[in-house]
Amino acid sequence: MEYEFRRQDFYAGLIIIGVSLFVMVESWRMPRHLQDWPAYAAPGMVTGILGLGLLIMGIILTFRSVRRQGLPLAFKGADIIAYLTDPKTRRLGLMFALSLIYCLFLGRRLPYFVVTTIYLALVMITFRGIGPIKALIISLMVAIGVAVVFNRLFLVPLP
Amino acid sequence: MELGPLLILKELLKLCSPIVLFHVFWSTFIGMIIGMLPGLTATMGIALLTGLTFGMEPRMAIIILICVYVGAITGGSRSAILLNIPGTPANAAACLDGFPLAQRGEGGQAIGLAATASFIGTVFGLFCMAFFTPLLGKIALDFHSWEFFWLAIFGIIICGNLTAPTDPLKGWIAGFFGLLVSLVGMEGITAYARFSFGFDQMKGGFALIPVLVGVYGIAEVLGGMRDVVLPKVRSKVGRVIPRARDLINHYRHILRSGVIGVIVGAIPGVGEDVASWVSYDFAKRSSKQPEKFGKGSLEGLIAAETGDNACIGGAIIPVLSLAVPGSAPAAVLLAAMWLHGVRPGPLLMLEFPNYIWEVTAMMIMASFASLIISLAFVRGQVKILLVPRPVLMPIVFVLCVIGSYAINVRIFDIWVMFVFGIIGYAMRNYNYPAAPLVLGVILGDMADVNMRRALIRTAGDVSSFFTRPISLILIILIILTMISRTKMFKNGLSLGTAKIGRLFRKRKY
Repeated sequence: MEYEFRRQDFYAGLIIIGVSLFVMVESWRMPRHLQDWPAYAAPGMVTGILGLGLLIMGIILTFRSVRRQGLPLAFKGADIIAYLTDPKTRRLGLMFALSLIYCLFLGRRLPYFVVTTIYLALVMITFRGIGPIKALIISLMVAIGVAVVFNRLFLVPLP
Repeated sequence: MELGPLLILKELLKLCSPIVLFHVFWSTFIGMIIGMLPGLTATMGIALLTGLTFGMEPRMAIIILICVYVGAITGGSRSAILLNIPGTPANAAACLDGFPLAQRGEGGQAIGLAATASFIGTVFGLFCMAFFTPLLGKIALDFHSWEFFWLAIFGIIICGNLTAPTDPLKGWIAGFFGLLVSLVGMEGITAYARFSFGFDQMKGGFALIPVLVGVYGIAEVLGGMRDVVLPKVRSKVGRVIPRARDLINHYRHILRSGVIGVIVGAIPGVGEDVASWVSYDFAKRSSKQPEKFGKGSLEGLIAAETGDNACIGGAIIPVLSLAVPGSAPAAVLLAAMWLHGVRPGPLLMLEFPNYIWEVTAMMIMASFASLIISLAFVRGQVKILLVPRPVLMPIVFVLCVIGSYAINVRIFDIWVMFVFGIIGYAMRNYNYPAAPLVLGVILGDMADVNMRRALIRTAGDVSSFFTRPISLILIILIILTMISRTKMFKNGLSLGTAKIGRLFRKRKY
């Protein structure tokens, strides 16, 4: 029987092995007699054990994916092109990019409600949720609402 | 000594003020909307509201969060019945029979029954919570560092097992990753900053709320915007108030699902979705008309909705007694309690002896508000389902950002949320459950500090980890949980059962 996640599991397994090896090395490098505490109270003790556990699971995941039947492990150019040209991927990429830019602009010189209004309106218009005028009005109302509730009601300084 | 019910009544009377009632109703309503809208989960709702209510008086903040929790789990059945899309994962089982009922023009009846079953489930769960929490709390006083370490590991393993039923290995990986995430930053014994790489912000570690909002909220927003728009809502609702005979005739399903919901809820990290499916499965097996399940069976709908709501009370039992969350929304509730100065766990009964009764009273109010809103504003709520996703999702994103930021007023938390959103999205697409990761983040510190503290107490002798009675029980449970998923164990079990069965079978001569 074909296993749906064969390729994903293989690469995820390799990443997990890499991360766990890094965790184990870093744990080993942590001080072992800090403030005269014995080695078994060292800060890297538990992280090292968890890293080892993760390493074992990563190895099992990788070997299991190799043994199972399913998609070939190597990527082909056509697969990558098909993924990139998929409208769903484009929507995801666009949302991701807009949200990333929004986060980058937070905490800078522009006031919070301005950045938020622009972000909301841009997403609503780009994804054709509603008309531009409606989108602008809703965005402005939401941004001002959030700003007032957090800043005035809960006394949280806005980003 | 005063009796429990009397104490609950006392707390209930204390809470009955216009301002509390106002907060109860609006927060339950918001919870129901969050639950109704596909893509917004109870966990995310509570996480968002934790940020929103951060500046409020602790008692008020907790009551709002409990109302959102109850409201979201109840409200999720709306979209399950009308759209065939569960509002929250907990309502997935309600789709099977709710949607066929709506297609037959009995959507109103299905919504009314689901709401009433949810109410009964919540009340059943909260009384179990009030009864069992003090008992478990007493047992929890026997837990020491060794047991707490194993409890954390047990929580991760069983949560991984049950939230990734087809591939528990991925659940365990997510759990171990969560444990490691929680150990970033300064630790509690020697104040050494682990994995901070010289960054001051990393020394503080990753706060739970940004991680949680990222894994659940941002992942949901990205997923929601990637996929195509929703189908149209069936507008015909019809009669909403359920008939008494429909409930009386199915009292067995209600009781059974209530018990299942509480038990499933009390298991660390296993949430309402599992409770709902298990209740549904049991109801189908015990039904006289199992062929009707999936085609608009009232039994199926009642069982699923009672089970998931009873799980709420069950999930709060380990939160209050052991400080181990029974489900993902309960995990956020636990974090919110910490944020507001309450320390759930074995010492809760000593530090805040009335807190259990207070939480029970809050849940009673939430369940009543949820029932009233459910039955009274069905038509209005249905209209909310028509909000297009491209309008809703960016607003959710803005709320996620401000919710994560408000906890510590750090831009760093927004980036933590964003990065964990990407991780959560990838995990979802590659079949890794998010609940063990969140549970790991919560239990990481408990595992770390208790393991090292135990070793210090025994001067490095590890034998106590394996010889103390409660530790031993937990180790056996961990091993059983892990090997129960292996092929060898399953084959051995079926062979053994067949052999034992043969011993008791009558021989033909």
